[in-house]
Amino acid sequence: MSSSVATQQPAQSSSPPTPAAAGRPQKSLFARVLARPEVGALAAAIVIFAFFYAVAPTFRSLPAASTYLYASSTIGIVAVGVALLMIGGEFDLSSGVAVTTAALTAAMSCYQLSLNVWVGVVVSLVVALAIGFVNGYLVVRTGIPSFLVTLSTFFVLQGLNLGVTKLITGAVATPNVSGLDGFASARAVFASDIDLGIITLKITVLWWLAFVAVGTWVLLRTRVGNWIFASGGNEASARAVGVPVKKVKIGLFMAVGFLAWFLGMHLLMNFSSVQAGIGVGNEFVYIIAAVVGGALLTGGYGSAVGSALGAVIFGMTTQGIVFAGWDPNWFKTFLGAMLLMAVMVNLYIKNYAAQRK
Amino acid sequence: MRSTRRSLQALVAVTAATMALAACSSEGGAQSEGGGGGGGGGGGAADQEFTIAMITHEAPGDTFWDKIRNGAEAAAANHNITLNYSNDPDAGAQATLIQNQVSSQVDGLAVTMPNPDAIGPAAQAAVEAGIPTVAFNAGGDAYKDFGILMYFGSNEDLAGQSVGSKISQDNPGKTVCVIQEQGQVQLEGRCAGVAKTAPDSEVLYVNGRDLPSVQQTIGAKLQQDTSIANIVTLGADIALASQKAIADAGSSAQVATFDLNADVAQQIQDGGIAFTVDQQPYVQGYMAVTSLWLNLTNGNDIGGGAPVLTGPSIVDSSNIEQIIPYTANNTR
Amino acid sequence: MTDTIADHAASDLKAGESLVEMEGVGKAYGAIRALEGVNLTVKAGEVTCVLGDNGAGKSTLIKIISGLHPHSEGTLKVDGKERHFSSPREALDTGIATVYQDLAVVGLMEVWRNFFLGSEIRKGRYPLAPLDIKAMRQIADTELQKMGITVKDINQPIGTLSGGQRQCVAIARAVYFGARVLILDEPTAALGVKQSGVVLKYTAAARDAGLGVVFITHNPHHAYMVGDHFIILKLGRRVLDKKRSEVGLEELTAEMAGGQELAELSHELKR
Repeated sequence: MSSSVATQQPAQSSSPPTPAAAGRPQKSLFARVLARPEVGALAAAIVIFAFFYAVAPTFRSLPAASTYLYASSTIGIVAVGVALLMIGGEFDLSSGVAVTTAALTAAMSCYQLSLNVWVGVVVSLVVALAIGFVNGYLVVRTGIPSFLVTLSTFFVLQGLNLGVTKLITGAVATPNVSGLDGFASARAVFASDIDLGIITLKITVLWWLAFVAVGTWVLLRTRVGNWIFASGGNEASARAVGVPVKKVKIGLFMAVGFLAWFLGMHLLMNFSSVQAGIGVGNEFVYIIAAVVGGALLTGGYGSAVGSALGAVIFGMTTQGIVFAGWDPNWFKTFLGAMLLMAVMVNLYIKNYAAQRK
Repeated sequence: MRSTRRSLQALVAVTAATMALAACSSEGGAQSEGGGGGGGGGGGAADQEFTIAMITHEAPGDTFWDKIRNGAEAAAANHNITLNYSNDPDAGAQATLIQNQVSSQVDGLAVTMPNPDAIGPAAQAAVEAGIPTVAFNAGGDAYKDFGILMYFGSNEDLAGQSVGSKISQDNPGKTVCVIQEQGQVQLEGRCAGVAKTAPDSEVLYVNGRDLPSVQQTIGAKLQQDTSIANIVTLGADIALASQKAIADAGSSAQVATFDLNADVAQQIQDGGIAFTVDQQPYVQGYMAVTSLWLNLTNGNDIGGGAPVLTGPSIVDSSNIEQIIPYTANNTR
Repeated sequence: MTDTIADHAASDLKAGESLVEMEGVGKAYGAIRALEGVNLTVKAGEVTCVLGDNGAGKSTLIKIISGLHPHSEGTLKVDGKERHFSSPREALDTGIATVYQDLAVVGLMEVWRNFFLGSEIRKGRYPLAPLDIKAMRQIADTELQKMGITVKDINQPIGTLSGGQRQCVAIARAVYFGARVLILDEPTAALGVKQSGVVLKYTAAARDAGLGVVFITHNPHHAYMVGDHFIILKLGRRVLDKKRSEVGLEELTAEMAGGQELAELSHELKR
């Protein structure tokens, strides 16, 4: 898919780019930063951080930071993919359950055959990518909205998770895989603690930052990123100028599959065994993180960094309420109020940025 | 789309190759377990074949319910019963399922009643239609109001109290009771029971469908209050997640839990979990079906008009050796 | 500003040479015949106007030439070779570029990203090779400036430009990337008089630079200002096919308004 496009050389007679163009007035750095999709989420994250810093003494400690960063990372890893997919104009409601599917597949394939854990890791990667591929293929092939296609996948996977697990293991949870060969190395990759001297971080936090960096780079610095924005922003016009929209979308669904797989591996290596019914509902948390981070529900706009900030807001709020020691009966109410506040700060900053233009 | 089809083929090829290459074997795993343990014992031959419907509020994918079902199926096999199992966590939908079974004129009905007001009337309709009906697992306070014959289950309040008193005795101190589904009556009842006999306790809500977040939230609580001496969890998987949280936070809190599975049993043996309170779900499923069979074939009614308690049965280091083999069978 | 278009236009174009020839082309969607028996020739340095009411088959015709939907009957030749496009990319590779009315650009993307969309400059050929953003910004900026399109900031989202400017950016892009045949789908439909004028001037400039232009519209006045050849479609069929010398604006207007049918109707309704 790389060969055909680069051959379109501009007509040779064109005059080389002249430095004269550089004389055009550029916007100030401040104005350009304000125009980024994630700036509102950044402001909201700072406000929420300051808020909990003020009301919850334990929130100020480094171990507490480690805890809420861990919470953010387990949301944020999949949210990066979900944000990219939403920028590309599609939804994935199956991502929460796909995490469980990946973990179950890995656990059962290596346990039942008494193989090295890494075999299960690879098999489940193939399965997770296949789920993404099927989602994408059905969406681009049938033209049915991805909301419906992935809702179906969501139900299908939920049933498969239970049915297949029960069929293979005789129970609705996988056996404990911690006794298998390769478990220690797999755990080191997916679920270890990294001691950075002053703070001990879960390795998922580092992976999460890496995925956000890769996502940002792909979006802003590569051709594929250009195509993702175009596919979500105006699919018909993207297709008309030769963007392979179908491949882009299938690729995005597969990227979500990959990240769901990664989180699934963390789940398995962290807890050694997985219950078949978990993961339901998390797809919305990922979508919330992407949207709070500035991604448009209609596609064509958003950022990977934004999804990370959305995850941080969600992670800080859920853990911050515990750190603050508030009455747990009101937990969901606090959570809702905090998210509303985040979205409102976000909106306010965006309006402010728009007025400055 | 030709190239996407090609990538599909490649995908299949990769899967096949992975499976083929996976030659490196492991020490553990199913292959080294030897011949599997047999299922339910003796095939009691009955003259008449009955159909019994079991309708629960199981949210799919929980090992606890698996054991209830295993018990029910073992009893059905023993007595040559056809078992129609169905479930829905939504009370209204569960009532509809019961109505369906009543109108298909089953011989006996076993229901759980987490929400008696919604489910009771449907069960009462079955009783009035002349179908012997028992309740189990949930609804011990209300089953009589609807004319239901018998009840098999544990008393959540009693179970909670037994946990609380054991904690107060063995490891007194601040206790956090972790509820994985906010507003669930049975779970709230357990923690209320704990609070009666271990007064210095408070409740923490977590999202039981997201284990990492369970670990994170319990971890945050331990960081916030370093004086916590006991974590009480209400499900086996939550207990294991809370152990991770304790390790992360560097806390010395002790874990006690409700429910039993193979991993929890292993942890009790290894000393990672202090004890668990088992309400013996296998017995609930088994007895619900068997009591109906006895009623249909012999006119029995068990319990003398009072609930039959299947728990709390406390499992700790003193009796774990005996119980551990059964957890592997998924019957305890 | 016209000289820059001439600068870019592919140098092998000779005025009057046939670039695209369609003979008896038709398209059926299941049982519905959207288009049948259309003959159309696009010559270098000429503007061929395709007129027709809604549902006349104009958009089907564009979709066939631009490669979005393949034709189901007749022949389509490009530079004398028979073609059957299965994707817009294939059509683009033979030098046929289409500028759509509503979908010329992706509104939320920056001007320079739009200019290079689908033909990005990269620092390498491997997958995920980084974009040469600096070069693309500079080229887009220079090109647009030379063509008289004033953009405040090349980094602003193209949706902030006026409708006429957006059409012009799309045309400039097509020409820059070596288009030989330019298909303009209702470029003036949503524009005011002044904006339409800007687009028409561009159309004429492209023609003068030697490109073959297919101008699709339902406005006979706009068509007559730039057209060399006129085709009117009605219900998927060709009802008029004349050179500029053979037809006047009145005839075009009357034919567009309904022609014979309208005359009959007015006779019927006569009081």
